[in-house]
Amino acid sequence: MVPVEQLHLSHVLQTVSALESIVLRSFGPEGGQVLFTRDTGQVMLSRNGKRILTALHLDHPLARMVVRCVWKHSTITGDGSKTFVLLLASLLRIIHATATKEPHMFQPHNSTEAAEAATARHLADRLLEFALTELDELIVLNVLPHGFCVSLDNFTAETQHNLSCQTLLVSFFRTRLGYAYCDFFRNLFCELLSHWKVKDDRPSFSIQFLNNSFPALHTQVSGVPVSCSRLIEGQVIHRDFATPCPQVRKQPLKAVVFNGYLQPKLLATQDVLELRCGDKVTEDRGIVHFSSWTERSVESIIATLQSFGVSVLLCALKQSSAVLAAATQAGMCLVECVSDEEISLFTQLSGVTPISDCWRIHPEHIATLTFCKPLLLGAHRNVHLDFHDCEERLKVKPCSLVICAPSEAQADQHACAFQDAFRMLLTALEPVCKTQTALEETIPSKKCTSLHADNISDETACRVHPHQKCVTETGCVISAGGTFEFLLHHALHQYGHSCSVSVNTSAVVPVSQLLAKALLSVPRQIYSHNLKHFLQAQTRVMALIPKQPHALCANFIHTEGPLGDGKLSSCKKGNISLKFLDLGLESVSCKYQLVLAVLQCLTNLLQTNMVLRTHTVLHTKSHDSLNAHLESSEDEDED
Amino acid sequence: MALNGDEEDFEWEPPTEAEMKVIQARRERQDKISKLMGDYLLKGYKMLGDCCEACGVSRTGPDFKSCVMRGDWIWNVSSDISPALTSSAKISFSRSSVSSQAGVSVPQPRPEHCEGAAAGGRALLPPPVVASTLQPALEEAEEAVLTKLRWATTQLQSSASLEASIQLCSLIGSCANSLRSLRELSQ
Repeated sequence: MVPVEQLHLSHVLQTVSALESIVLRSFGPEGGQVLFTRDTGQVMLSRNGKRILTALHLDHPLARMVVRCVWKHSTITGDGSKTFVLLLASLLRIIHATATKEPHMFQPHNSTEAAEAATARHLADRLLEFALTELDELIVLNVLPHGFCVSLDNFTAETQHNLSCQTLLVSFFRTRLGYAYCDFFRNLFCELLSHWKVKDDRPSFSIQFLNNSFPALHTQVSGVPVSCSRLIEGQVIHRDFATPCPQVRKQPLKAVVFNGYLQPKLLATQDVLELRCGDKVTEDRGIVHFSSWTERSVESIIATLQSFGVSVLLCALKQSSAVLAAATQAGMCLVECVSDEEISLFTQLSGVTPISDCWRIHPEHIATLTFCKPLLLGAHRNVHLDFHDCEERLKVKPCSLVICAPSEAQADQHACAFQDAFRMLLTALEPVCKTQTALEETIPSKKCTSLHADNISDETACRVHPHQKCVTETGCVISAGGTFEFLLHHALHQYGHSCSVSVNTSAVVPVSQLLAKALLSVPRQIYSHNLKHFLQAQTRVMALIPKQPHALCANFIHTEGPLGDGKLSSCKKGNISLKFLDLGLESVSCKYQLVLAVLQCLTNLLQTNMVLRTHTVLHTKSHDSLNAHLESSEDEDED
Repeated sequence: MALNGDEEDFEWEPPTEAEMKVIQARRERQDKISKLMGDYLLKGYKMLGDCCEACGVSRTGPDFKSCVMRGDWIWNVSSDISPALTSSAKISFSRSSVSSQAGVSVPQPRPEHCEGAAAGGRALLPPPVVASTLQPALEEAEEAVLTKLRWATTQLQSSASLEASIQLCSLIGSCANSLRSLRELSQ
C-alpha cells in the first residue's frame, strides 16, 4: 500500500516560512548576499532570489512547488523572486490565522484540521477570483495616477526629469548588480537596444527579439575587468574554425549553413546496408567501395559550393575528417557544431535558409558576409562575422554583446541580469487593464467578493467612482520603496470597507482586506532596519492620496490607446514628488503580475492536502525544464 | 495602519494579556524554527519530504535524519511554552553530505553539481556499520545520565544542606553537559 501523508495548513506555512527566512536575508536595499562556494574553491556572491532558491536542496514537494513557481515567474518577468516568497508567506500566515479563528466559516466539518484546510482553500479561491476580476481596475484607478509612463522609443535620450526608461533600468541593475556597475550596464543596455531597434516599429518587437536571441547574442569573458564589456558589430559564433582560416579578403564573402552531414554517415550499430547494382544485390562490392563513393560525393558537393563562390561553411553537426580535408584543400573556412540558437540568428539576419539536402544547393541558401575572421575573447577563439547590407535590408545594426567579469560566475550573473532586464521591460510594456471598461454608478452585488457569499442579496451594492474609463496604459512605472504596496493597501482597504458596509454584516471580512494586510509585509521588510522610515514612507505616500475620491477621476486624463511616438502619456504628474525618484522606479505591470502569480501559487499550494510516497522519482515537465536550463548553462560554460 | 480605523475600533476588542502572551510565544517559536531551517538549508542540508512524528525524537539511520526541534536551546524554549503549542516542527532535515567546508555551495553549471547547495559536494556518508554499533551504547549512556539527573533533582528538592545542594547542582550541570555531548554524537 502506498504510504499516504496528510498535509496540514501548519505544514504548508512552516515550509514556506523556511524559504521566507532565507530570502529575507537578501531582501531590500539593506539585504545581504549569499556566498556560494564550489568544490573547486570558486566563490560567488549573489542576492538573486531565483539563484538562491534554486540552489537549495529541497526534497519536500511543497517547497519544490514553490521554487518552481518562483522560477517560472522570474523567467517571465525577470524580477520579484524574493518579493514573491515574502508575499506568499505573508498571505499564508494571514489565511492560517483567519482559518484558525473561524474554521467552520463555510460549512461544518468533522475535524478542526479539515475545517481549517477547507476554509483556507476557500479563502485562496476567493482571493484569486477577486484578483482576476477586480484588482486591475483598482490598480488603474488608485495606483496609476500616482505613477507615470516612461517612453521606450528613445533609449539614449534623457528627458527633463529623467523620466525615461533609463531610470527604470538603473533601478533594476542596482538591485541586481549593486551600485558599482549599475550606470555602466545601463548605458551598455541602452546602446544595445538602440542598435537593434527597428525603425518605425514598436520597441517591444526589438526587445522581444533580443530576449529570444540573447544566448546567441552575448559572449561571456572571464578574467577581464567589468569595464571591458562592450558591443562589437556583427555576430559572434562561439566556436573556432575547424579548418585553417585564409587571410581576410576584402570582397564580400559567401557563406552557407548546413543542418546535417556533408558526408553520409557510415553504418552505425544495428544498421543494415544493402549494396545494389541495378536490380540485383551485388556481393563483390563492399564497404570500401561505398566509403570511397561517399568521399567522391563530398568532393562533388565542395565543387558545387566553389562554383557558387562559397568560402565559409557553418555546420550544425560535427563533420568527418574527409569533409575537413576537402574544405581545407578548397580553401574554405568550416565551422562545425554551431548551436541551434546561433544558426537561427544567422539565418534571420542573413535571410537565407539552411541546407538540409546537400545535393540541392540553390542561391537562396547562400549568404553574403562583409567579413568572417577569428576573434580572441578571453581564453577562447571565436568566429566573428558581419552581414552585408543588413542595415538596408532589415533596418538594424546587428551587434553582439561581450560581457567581461573577473570570474565566470560573475560574468554569468551579469548576463542573467541583462536577460532579466529584457524580460522586465517586456512585462512593463504590458498594459495593466486589458480592456476598456465603463464603470456605472452602482454595480450589482456579485462584484463584492466577501467571505459569506450566501448572504449577499440583490439589494446590496458597492459604491464606486462614477463615469470613469480604464485606459490601456503601457510602460507605467511608480517610485520604488513600497509606494505600490502602500497605495494598493489603501485602495483595497477602502474597497473592503465599502463592501462590508454595504453588505451590512459585522462578521464579514472581505478578502480584499486579507490581501491589503499581506501587501504591507513588503514595505515592512524593506524598512525592517528602521521602523521610523517605514512610518515616514507610509505617511509620505498617504499624503499623495486626495481626501475626496471624486477629485481623482476629475484629474484623470483620458488617452485613446497605447503610447504614441515618444510622447509621455497623460498620467497625472502633478502630485509626483521628484524626491521619490531617488528611490528608483519599478514597473506597475510587473507588480500586478507578481500579485497574480502569488495568488495562483497560493491556490495550488492549498489545494494539496495529501502526499503519496512513491519509490521512484517522478519528474514533471517543468522539473525537467528547470534541470535542463541549469544543465544547458553548464554545457555552455564547459565550452 | 488603516486611516479609517476609527469605525473599526468599535468592533474590535484587543486580546487579553494571556492571549497576547500565547500569540507572542507562538510567533517567536515559529520565527525561530523558520530561522533555524533557513540556516540549515543555506549550509547545504536537505529539506526532506517527511515530517517529524514526535517533537524531540531524533531519527538515526543512513540518512542521519533529524528534526529541527532537536537542539538544546530549542528544547529549553519549548518547555516554557504552553503544552498546546508544543506540536512538533513538522519538517525534518538530513545532512546530504558531510563536509568540513563552510558556506553555501553554488548551483553553478558543473556536472558534479545537481541543483542544491551541498558545500561538500558528494562526499560519502560514514558507513552505517559504525552507527549501528555506536547507537546502542549512546542510548544506554543517555539513559544512565537521565536516571542520575532525575535522582539528583529529587535529592535537591529534599536537601537542606547548602554544601549538598551546591554539589547536587554541579552534578545536574554535568549531567546536562553530558546529555548534550551524547546527543551531538548521535547526530
